[in-house]
Amino acid sequence: MTLTIAAISLRETSRRRVALLFVFLLPLVFYLVRLDVHWQAIRFLAIGVGWAIATLSLFSHVGARRLGERLSVIGASPTSLFLGRQLALVGAGLALACAYFALVAATLDVPRLPAVALLLGTTVLVAAPLGALVSLVLPRELEGALALLSLMALQLLADPADAFAKALPMWSTRELAAYAIEPVGAGPLRQGLLHFAGTLVLCSLIAWGANRLRLRPVRLPEPAPEPATR
Amino acid sequence: MTFGREWGARLAGHLVEAGVPEGEARRLAGDSVAEAREAGREPAELYGPAVAYARELARTLRAVAATAAPLARARGPVVLRLSRVTKRYRRRTVLGGVNLVLRAGEVAAVVGANGSGKSTLLNICAGVTRASGGLVERTARVGYAPQQQGVSPLLTPAEHFRLFGAVHGMGRRRSVAVGEQLAGQLGWRPRADVVAAHLSGGTRQKLNVVLSELNRPDLILLDEPYQGFDQTSYLDFWDQVFRWRDAGAGVLVVTHLLHDLERVDHVLELHRVDE
Repeated sequence: MTLTIAAISLRETSRRRVALLFVFLLPLVFYLVRLDVHWQAIRFLAIGVGWAIATLSLFSHVGARRLGERLSVIGASPTSLFLGRQLALVGAGLALACAYFALVAATLDVPRLPAVALLLGTTVLVAAPLGALVSLVLPRELEGALALLSLMALQLLADPADAFAKALPMWSTRELAAYAIEPVGAGPLRQGLLHFAGTLVLCSLIAWGANRLRLRPVRLPEPAPEPATR
Repeated sequence: MTFGREWGARLAGHLVEAGVPEGEARRLAGDSVAEAREAGREPAELYGPAVAYARELARTLRAVAATAAPLARARGPVVLRLSRVTKRYRRRTVLGGVNLVLRAGEVAAVVGANGSGKSTLLNICAGVTRASGGLVERTARVGYAPQQQGVSPLLTPAEHFRLFGAVHGMGRRRSVAVGEQLAGQLGWRPRADVVAAHLSGGTRQKLNVVLSELNRPDLILLDEPYQGFDQTSYLDFWDQVFRWRDAGAGVLVVTHLLHDLERVDHVLELHRVDE
């Protein structure tokens, strides 16, 4: 069932053509704006990809809520509904990441090019559950989109060296971008991957749990048999 | 040679759109043109516009099929029991002590003014909303058609059938075949390339209804499912409700229309509690 849900969610997402165009354009704008400073361009690109996928995830989860409720009533597992939709979003996100990896490879001379692929891939993997999480906390599209906007603005403006910045979901992008561009050891890579893993687990678990709570129908007992009448 | 040919072709096309199998549609169109020829009149003159005649003909065919071999109506075990069910939102009481016993093979209509809690009651029966008090007992095999947002605007009917079929453990082809067959009973032939957002309001509701019965559930819960239906579709819908009942399902319909209430087994009238 999870794979059917994923395939159909992907089909559904692919029909939002204008939205997909903006999902593609947002990271491009971020990338081009800072193309003069390579590491900044790559970091901004990653945050653009993350923002686009998180927003897509937010709208996808909010839009599917009533249908999800209906499917849960007739017996669909909330976990399958969540995983199916996440698989579709991660699939779409990785396709976007591949396109931008090709762009970086073609336009920049990056010392550790595979690290850029890792950076974009990890960003997508964090963004999809992050959007789902926001959609479950703020179940309306406008409020959710504004919350993501605030989060991403904070992500861009906060001093990465600050302890507070480490609590933001995409702090790992800075470490991984530094590892890709600068002549540094494996320290930033290790720190970035650790942060990514922690954020991924935390966002996924909370989003999955909240989705389960929201979609799980009330357990109703089977009708008791009527007493036999003479 | 071409007497009534164009009208006949249009009639056959509209019959197919209304869910009549292609071979039968061609045969009926041929018979109608032949009858007009025998009467010495143009088919359009004798029967009226092809689209209207096709609709009438399709409806008659469905009615005949429904009554040709009526199933023995037997009331089965209880599929839904509500005992003193209440619902409160903060200080506002929406439902105050609702009781109902619905058996397999029975139809219950929930009626009441706007704001009397009809949809809330249906959501409680579905398990979407938790009752504040009382006991709800319900069979597990349930079909559910909410009033709004029960379908995805960006999916085609066939994709809906696949999605709902997957939940019931049905294969892809079987889901689509069953969905299209059920759609035919409501006088609708789904097109493969049209997403729900581009369907008319009435056709979208037909999709909503078909999805609720895809797995032949023991209990079907419907919240004003006929909104946007034309008169023929409305009659088809009630025929369908009584077919489900005769096939042994329990049906709970939320409605604000009072037609056909003499044919249902239970009428549950809700009133605003605060009034």
